[in-house]
Amino acid sequence: MKRLLNLLVVPVFAAGLASAQMNGPVPKSFVTYAAEPASIAAKKPAVVELHFKVLDGYHMNSHTPKSELLIPTVLKLEPATGVKLGAIDYPVGHEYSFSFNPQEKLDVYTGDVTLKTHLTAAAAGTYTVKGVLSYQACDNAACYPPKKLPVEIEVTAK
Amino acid sequence: MKRNLAVLGVVALLVAALVWAGVQNLRARRLAAEKAKQAPELALVKEGETPPTPSVSADSFVGDLDLRGKPAPAFTLTTLEGKKVSLSDYKGKPVLVNFWATWCAPCKLEMPWFEELRKKYAGQGFTILGISEDEDEPKEAIAKAANKLGVTYPILLTDHKADKAYGDFAILPMSFYVAGNGTIVEQSAGLGSKDDIETKIKKTIAATGAM
Repeated sequence: MKRLLNLLVVPVFAAGLASAQMNGPVPKSFVTYAAEPASIAAKKPAVVELHFKVLDGYHMNSHTPKSELLIPTVLKLEPATGVKLGAIDYPVGHEYSFSFNPQEKLDVYTGDVTLKTHLTAAAAGTYTVKGVLSYQACDNAACYPPKKLPVEIEVTAK
Repeated sequence: MKRNLAVLGVVALLVAALVWAGVQNLRARRLAAEKAKQAPELALVKEGETPPTPSVSADSFVGDLDLRGKPAPAFTLTTLEGKKVSLSDYKGKPVLVNFWATWCAPCKLEMPWFEELRKKYAGQGFTILGISEDEDEPKEAIAKAANKLGVTYPILLTDHKADKAYGDFAILPMSFYVAGNGTIVEQSAGLGSKDDIETKIKKTIAATGAM
């Protein structure tokens, strides 16, 4: 009898969870950041990759959207002691149009998005560079207010 | 033994309830899918690819917080021309309160529909207030965007309080259909079909007439 009851508990809870997820609220964030420690040579210019992912079913404007009314994706990094920050390289966006407005060509990011930051560590050591990715996302029928995603880069220079 | 049977009975009831909920959900999804067929194809399309079918119709989506049946929160905002406008100025009349932004393509698609329907039902006292949620755009850019869409109904500038009062929504466009007695009779989140917008307007006018 106990085994039978145990067998029933799992599907009951799973069904409950599945039901709750079917009508979920709007996501709090449409982009995730995969923080990965970077190793670089000290006192030499280096390039560190930053990996982001746009949630399936959503897109965000690229760094260079085709209309000045659209909000671009921008990464801003804060100065960090011992680290000289250089330029940020943004990937090329994809050209897309909403099917309800095929004349308007958008330049967007979807899926995996990799940005590159140029930096130089003044000396050997471990540094944390903080920043914020600003973006604005839409799906196929709605748009979501601009958001800011905190970013932290841990860099070890040897 | 009796205790185990009782527990088994409770579990069986729970499973039955979940199955019933699942059936209801499936029925609702099928209904939404039928409505979606009537809505315009709304899909991000890469060149050469076939647009995917929308999974949920915005006609039936109200957003995270359902304010239908509740009093429409009051607001006083400034138009592009610098005039103060309050929702209470329209007491006794059916009003569509629409939140939009210049960076929102789905918002800008429906605004010409709004203008057309406003003119169609103006004789029944219907009007529209468009609240721009733009933060960094100068007034002139918002006005230019509205003019380009052919909009002549009032465009109000957000005070970052009205949107919070209407549920602090995280999606645009958001539309609230307010009857003459100040009650929100319909609400929609995201782009819906023009037919559904007109249905909601007619319902709001009817609710006002029944006051």
